[in-house]
Amino acid sequence: MKFRLQPRSIAFRLIVAVLAVELLSAILVVVLSFGYERHIHFRVFDVMLHGRADSILGAVQDAEDPGDNLMLDQADLHIPSDDIYAVYDQSGHVLGRSPNWQGAGPGAPTHPFGDYSQLDANGHHYRVLRIEGSRTVDPGEHGGKLRQVTILYGSPTGRVWHAIRGAVEFYAAGSLFLLLVTGPLIAWLLHRGLLPLRQLAALASQVSVDAWQFSPPVSARTTPELAPLTHALESALQRLERSFLQQRAFVSDAAHELKTAVAVVKSSLQLLNMKSRSVQEYKAGLERCLADSHRLEALVADMLALARAESSAPRPGPHRSADLAACLRQTVALLETFAALRNVQVHVSNRTANQTEVPVSIPPEECTLLLSNLLLNAIQHSPPASTVEIDLSIDSDQGAPTAVLAIQDHGDGIPGEALPHVFDRFYRGDPSRTRNTGGTGLGLAIAKAIAQKAAGSIDLTSQPDPAEPNQGTTVTVRLPIASSSNAEN
Amino acid sequence: MRVLIVEDEVRLADNLATALRDGPGFAVDWAADGEAGDDFARNPCYDLIVLDLMLPKLDGLSLLKRLRARRDATPVLILTAKDGAGSIIELLNAGADDYLAKPFDLGELIARAKALIRRGKGAAHPTLNVLGLEVNTLEQTVRRQGIFVDLSPTEYRILEYLIHRPRVIVSKRELLEHLYDYNWEHHSNVIEVHVSNLRKKLDAALPEPDPIPASIIETMRGRGYRLAPALPPDSEPVPLPTQTPEPGK
Repeated sequence: MKFRLQPRSIAFRLIVAVLAVELLSAILVVVLSFGYERHIHFRVFDVMLHGRADSILGAVQDAEDPGDNLMLDQADLHIPSDDIYAVYDQSGHVLGRSPNWQGAGPGAPTHPFGDYSQLDANGHHYRVLRIEGSRTVDPGEHGGKLRQVTILYGSPTGRVWHAIRGAVEFYAAGSLFLLLVTGPLIAWLLHRGLLPLRQLAALASQVSVDAWQFSPPVSARTTPELAPLTHALESALQRLERSFLQQRAFVSDAAHELKTAVAVVKSSLQLLNMKSRSVQEYKAGLERCLADSHRLEALVADMLALARAESSAPRPGPHRSADLAACLRQTVALLETFAALRNVQVHVSNRTANQTEVPVSIPPEECTLLLSNLLLNAIQHSPPASTVEIDLSIDSDQGAPTAVLAIQDHGDGIPGEALPHVFDRFYRGDPSRTRNTGGTGLGLAIAKAIAQKAAGSIDLTSQPDPAEPNQGTTVTVRLPIASSSNAEN
Repeated sequence: MRVLIVEDEVRLADNLATALRDGPGFAVDWAADGEAGDDFARNPCYDLIVLDLMLPKLDGLSLLKRLRARRDATPVLILTAKDGAGSIIELLNAGADDYLAKPFDLGELIARAKALIRRGKGAAHPTLNVLGLEVNTLEQTVRRQGIFVDLSPTEYRILEYLIHRPRVIVSKRELLEHLYDYNWEHHSNVIEVHVSNLRKKLDAALPEPDPIPASIIETMRGRGYRLAPALPPDSEPVPLPTQTPEPGK
């Protein structure tokens, strides 16, 4: 198995962390084992020192001299050759000592009883035990005399330290060995453990604008840590794909519309240029070309308006709002001539005319665009000598007050199969007619985008009924009323 | 020649129709959506269909597939706003004969339309040479044995249609259908007048008076007309190059 560890990868950090913990515990093991071994070995050593010192005490005997002095009988002593000892009587005289030691010096006998001390002699470190003992000389005569003796007994500590070092070295070597073995093992295990993550990453990296297919591996789905990530990735990709496809469809439709519009202008000019014509013919042809380019202009303007209305980026400057009632009055006034031209009456209900101020959080120019698109649509779909009815009310029933604008025409209505598509971009209910009236197929899409951006909604109801014609279509716009009353217009 | 334009953009269809009528002198019909185009195309009178791809009700590709599925071999020129080789390959494989990307050049469209009609009738070159008659479809001029014959536009269109199908009896109805669109009032005697004038002009162009009274355009009573050689009674008929219409797809 081959794998690389980047200095900042999760695996690398985990391995470093685990190894650091292992190293720390190895050091702790060594320190603790050193303390423990030292304690144990010196206890044993001290017991041994006591034993040997006691055997020295046993060798102290009556000297059988007139002064009832004591003597050390070294003949029966069996002690290791590199141990040292010295025996003093109560007056400080040396009764006997090991041949390899010159004694502890003058201060030695004054050591407190049972004390241990360190001593360097013969190039070794010695641990020296001092014990006080007593001997009764001539116990038969007048109860005998009690003589005090002081024994100093030392044994070199080198061997003890050697044993301790051996034990500690064993622990240290064991820990190091474990560290060396577990390091690669942890790396390998981590590599295996992170396999679902890598599989997920590899699959995710294959997603591109041409291949949206993303089927996460089962391992990633069933891993509790990866399941949320997998789910988030999946749903994000689905949403992205949907909007990407929508966008692509829009671009494709827009390209078709634009190219067709350009083709119209171009073919009109080429047609005019095909043969020589009279001034009148040229004039008429140029006017047609001008009309064609006006349509192209309107199409571009509508597409830009839609793009602006759909962009969710916040507008620079302070939050702007418009007075829906004032906008409505303006739009109606603006379209009155157009309606009259088609012999359509626009009727504004009384309560609408009485509305003083209805602030909605839409910039005034977009508010006018929304209203004129809807009203224009209604007028265009009205038969001659009919009425378009406009009603604006305020609905406070469900919490926040909402402005409800209804525009009703008395046209043929919209067939049921077309109803779900009327807000689609470039959708035309009746292509030949809309083209003739100059619609770009974007008006309702723009209106919807504007309403939705202001957290509102737009609905269209239509019941084309052959038995009862001219029921028409009603567009209902619901917009939340803005709290601030700094309406422009 | 009669062309069907299936295009939902009114102004573009208008320009196309005018250009095809004014330029090569075709009869032109217009359908505004796919279903209407399908209905129009069921009439076998069209020599070419100019088809837009994005159409309401029935898109161009589906219309083309329907057309080819019922073994209609009419040449189809596609107008497309889509780029990319993929869609073009799909179109050609579905039975399209040619395509033009929008915005196209009107002159190119006319040239391609003519070429497609020509090919659809088995001729490779824009100048047709049959029975000593030479018809240049680019200049729209006619020579008989080298001598220029001045024809009116309608006479030329009749001759152009007939010369694509020499020795085949063409009914008056067929001539009417291929030379006039739906906007024109059908009067079959108009054809008779034009054919009669055409015959006179062609015969008059011969350098010396025809010894044989039979004309190059025969009238088959009750059946129609045919472009036929003026043969001596005992000679063998001149073998003509076989002109089978291209099989559909």
